[in-house]
Amino acid sequence: MFNLARNLEKINFKNLEKQIILQYHNAPQSKNDEFKALNLYNVKTNRTIRKPFQRPPLPDPRTNQMPIDQDWGSVWPGPRSFHPASVPLPVRQGYVEKGAPPDKYANAELMKIPNFLHLTPPVIKRQCEALKKFCTPWPKSLKSVEQMEKFFPVEVTSSDYCHSSPTIRDPLARIVTIRFKLKSLKLNERETDKFRRLVGDRYNEANDTVTIVTDRCPLRKQNYDYALYLLTALYHESKKVEPWEELKSEADMEHYIWENNASKQSVEALFGQKVEEIPNIEEYSKAVTYYMNEGENDYTIGKYGEAVKKLLNLPSL
Amino acid sequence: MLKTTVEIILRSFNRKGLSSRYLSTAVQPRHDEKLETFRTPENDPSKHNSQHLAQFYRIPLEDKNALFHQSALPKSFEEQTKTFNEICLMVRKPGIDIINYLNTLDYTKPSVRFVLYGQKGSGKTLSLAHILHYAYRNNYLLVHVPWVGNWMHRSKEFSNSETQEGYVDINLDAAAWLLHFKTQNVKLLKNTDLKLLETIEWNSRESTLKDAPLLELVEHGISRIKFASRVVNILADQIKRLSSEGVCKTLVAIDGYNAFFYPSTKVYTEKREMVPPSRITVTEAFLNLTKFDWTNSAIVVTVDELAVPDENQISYFPRYLLGKEGFNHIDPFIPVPVANYSKKELTSVINYYIERKWIQPYPGQEEELSLLANSNPYSLMKLCNSL
Amino acid sequence: MAALKGILCKNQLLKSKITISHYIQNGMSQFPKYYIEPVYKKEELKELEKSGDIDRLAHLPTKPASSDSTCSFKQDPDINLFVNYVMKCGKKSLARELVEKSFENIKRIQLEKYHKCESEEEKNKLELNPRVIFHNAVENCKPLVELTGVRRGGVKYQVPVPVAQRRSLFLSMKWLIAAALEKDGKVRFTDQLARELVDAAHSKGKVVKKKQELHKQCEANRAYAHYRWN
Repeated sequence: MFNLARNLEKINFKNLEKQIILQYHNAPQSKNDEFKALNLYNVKTNRTIRKPFQRPPLPDPRTNQMPIDQDWGSVWPGPRSFHPASVPLPVRQGYVEKGAPPDKYANAELMKIPNFLHLTPPVIKRQCEALKKFCTPWPKSLKSVEQMEKFFPVEVTSSDYCHSSPTIRDPLARIVTIRFKLKSLKLNERETDKFRRLVGDRYNEANDTVTIVTDRCPLRKQNYDYALYLLTALYHESKKVEPWEELKSEADMEHYIWENNASKQSVEALFGQKVEEIPNIEEYSKAVTYYMNEGENDYTIGKYGEAVKKLLNLPSL
Repeated sequence: MLKTTVEIILRSFNRKGLSSRYLSTAVQPRHDEKLETFRTPENDPSKHNSQHLAQFYRIPLEDKNALFHQSALPKSFEEQTKTFNEICLMVRKPGIDIINYLNTLDYTKPSVRFVLYGQKGSGKTLSLAHILHYAYRNNYLLVHVPWVGNWMHRSKEFSNSETQEGYVDINLDAAAWLLHFKTQNVKLLKNTDLKLLETIEWNSRESTLKDAPLLELVEHGISRIKFASRVVNILADQIKRLSSEGVCKTLVAIDGYNAFFYPSTKVYTEKREMVPPSRITVTEAFLNLTKFDWTNSAIVVTVDELAVPDENQISYFPRYLLGKEGFNHIDPFIPVPVANYSKKELTSVINYYIERKWIQPYPGQEEELSLLANSNPYSLMKLCNSL
Repeated sequence: MAALKGILCKNQLLKSKITISHYIQNGMSQFPKYYIEPVYKKEELKELEKSGDIDRLAHLPTKPASSDSTCSFKQDPDINLFVNYVMKCGKKSLARELVEKSFENIKRIQLEKYHKCESEEEKNKLELNPRVIFHNAVENCKPLVELTGVRRGGVKYQVPVPVAQRRSLFLSMKWLIAAALEKDGKVRFTDQLARELVDAAHSKGKVVKKKQELHKQCEANRAYAHYRWN
C-alpha cells in the first residue's frame, strides 16, 4: 500500500519536471527585459581613453648623410670622447654572454676608451705643414746618430702647453729633463763607479744613459740651470778621491778580483813562485773570477775544473 | 642445515682470483743472459776502467770487514747489503775518474784535492767508498772520516781542551775514529817504518817515545780516551811528515767536509755556549790534512747538502757549501760532479735488483721508476723498497 | 632459504661492475648518480678502444679520477683499501708509508729465508712478492660466517650468519691491522704487520686462528641458525 503511494508520487513528479522544461523552451525571447546594472557609486559610464605617449620621431644619424669624400679633419677636429652619430664606422666594443659585442649606439665601453680619431695621417700631415714655418732647419752635416751624440751629447727636453684655462702658464712647463750617455763623460773605472753610485737609479745600464729631471724651481730657466749645475757637480765629485775611499776592503767589493784574493796567495804558495812565472795562470785566474762573479752552475764549475787541471798539469778526462 | 648453508656460500663466493700480473716469483726465469751487462767479475778496483762503467762489482768480505766495519757506510746501504747477502758497488764515472787520476798522479808534487759534489742521494759517499777500496788495495794509508756531521751534530761527549785555551775536545768520537783508523790500516801499521818522529809527553808521568811505532800512538789514544783528541792532531801531523818523507802514500777521504766550515754545531762548552767547528780540536787535524803543503798524498772530500741544516740546503755546489773560508782553504781543487743515474746505469741497477730478487719485473717498470725517482739513486732505492 | 637467496643475489650484484652507489644514495658525493666512474688505466682504455665501447663512454658525464688513482702497473685497489683502513685522522701519506715499509719488511724476511735455503727447489718454492703475500694473507683471513645477536623470547641468541664478500674483506683487513697493533711498545707497527702478513699468508698466526675460532663458534651455535628466518 505504502509502496503504491510512493510510485504514484514519483510519476507525478516526473510529469511536473517535463512540463517545466517545455515551458522554458517555448518561452518567447523578449528584448525589453535587459538586466540592469546596479550603479551604487554613480560611476561615469563613458570614460575618455588616454592617448598613449608617442616619442617624437628621431632624425637619422648624421653618419647616414655624410658624403664619402668629406674632410674628416673638420668633422672631428680635436680630442673628444666617442660619439656614434659622428663616426661612420661600424665599430663594436664590449662583451655579452651570448652573441656579438654591442654596437656603437649607447655603448659606454666605446666612450670610456681614449680614441685618436682626431689624429688621422692626413690631419697630422696638414698640421705639420702648418707648424713647419716655426721650426729651424735640421743641420745638414749631422747625418748619423754617432755624429749627433758626438756634437750634442746632452739632450734637453721640456714641454710647452697650450689650452684653455684662466692662466696660460702651465705648471708642468717648468720641468726640464737632461739626458746623456755616461761614456761621453770619459771617466775611468773608479770614477764611473762613483758616478753611478751618486746618480743611483737615474742611470740606465741597458743603454748607458743618465737621465736627470729637475722640477724644484718655479721657472724653466732656473730648472735648466740647476740641471747643468747638477751635471757639473756630479762630474767633479766623482773625479775626487776622498780619504775614506781607500778603506774599501774585500768585503765591500762589488766584483771578485782575483789579484786581491786568497786564491792568488794560495796558488803562489802552492808553486813557490811569483804569479807571473806560473804557466797557465791566466786561464785559472779568469776561471776563478768567472766562477765567483757569474755564480755557481755546471758550466762555471766545469770551466774552473778544467783550468785547475791545466794549472796542476793533469790530463783532462 | 648450517653445513648446507656454508656449502652454498662457499660455492657462491668464487674466490677472488689474483690478477695475473702478480706473477709469483717462484716461476720467474732467471736473468742469466743479462748477468754480463750489469755485473763485472773484476773485483779489483785498480783494474776498473771506462769499460766497466755502470756495472756492479762485489767487494770481498775480508775487504769489507777491514774497510767498512762499523757504520762507515750509510745505514740504508748497510741494510741493503745484509738483505742482498753481498756488498756490491756500481762502477761510476766519478769513481773511475778519480782512480785514473790517482794512478797517474805525480806524488812528488804537492797533494791534489778532489771535491765530489752533487745532489742529495746522487751517490757521493758510495763513489768515495769505491775510491777507498782502490786505495786499500794499493796500500795507501787511509785517513777516512765516514761523516763529519756526526761530530758536529751528534757528538756524544764534549769537554774543554786542556792543552788549547778556548777549544773543545770530542774525545769519545775521536777515540772511535782512531779505532776506525786502526782497523782500516792494520796491515800498514804493522810496518815498522811508520815511527814517531818525536817524543810526545802526555803528562809528567806518561810519554810516548821517539821511534815508537805509530800504532802505539793510536792505541794510546784508544785506551786513554782523555787524550784522544790530542792524539788525532798529533797523528795528522805525523802522517803528513811521514808521507812527505816518502815512508808511506796517504789518501785522505772525508765525507761531508763542508761541516767543518758551517758556523753552527751542536757542540757546547760547559757554560752551554755553542762552539763553532773551528774551535773543536779535531777540526784542526783534518784541515791540516787537507792542505796542499805535503807530498805523497791525495785528498778526496765530498761536500754534501745533508751536512748543513734544512733551511740552508739551497745549493749543492761547493762554493756555496764550503763558504768563503772553506773555498779559500781548499782552492785550487778539482771539482768532480756526481750526477744522477744515466739510462744505462738505471737499467743496470734495476737488473741487479731483479737478479737479487729484490723487485719483481713488470711491463714499463724501468720508465716508470726512472720518472718517479727522477733517476736519483737514493730515491730509486727508496721506491724499489716497497715493490 | 628465500632470504638467503636474496642475500646471494645482492652479493652477485656487488661483485658485478655496478657499484654500490647506484643503489645507495651517497649523500656527500658532489656528483649526480648518473655520472660514470673514470677509466684511468691504460690497458682498460685500450680494451675499450678495441671493443668500441669507448665511443659510447666518450660523451657521458664522468667523475674525475681520485688523487690516488694512477695508471701505474703496481697500483692495486685492494692495497689502496688497506691503506685507507690503516689511515688515522686523514694522514694518508703516513698510512701509505707504513704499508710500503711493511712490504719492504716482508721482502727482507722472505729474502733472509731465501738465502738460508740450501736447495734450489726450496728457493723456488719461496714466495718473494710482497703483493702476492698480502693477497694470500687477506684471502686466508676472510671469515665465511659470523655471529650476530638475535632476540627471541627475551633471550639473546648468537646466531651464525653468512658474511658478505665486502664485509669479509673488511673484517680480514681489520683483524690484520688489529693484530699488528697488538704488540710491545718497542716493536714497530711495520715490523709486526709484516710478520702477521707473512704468517697469515702461510695460514698461520693470530688472525687465521681468530677466524678459525669464529668458525668453530658458529658451528657450535648451528642450532640457533633458524632464528635468522623466523
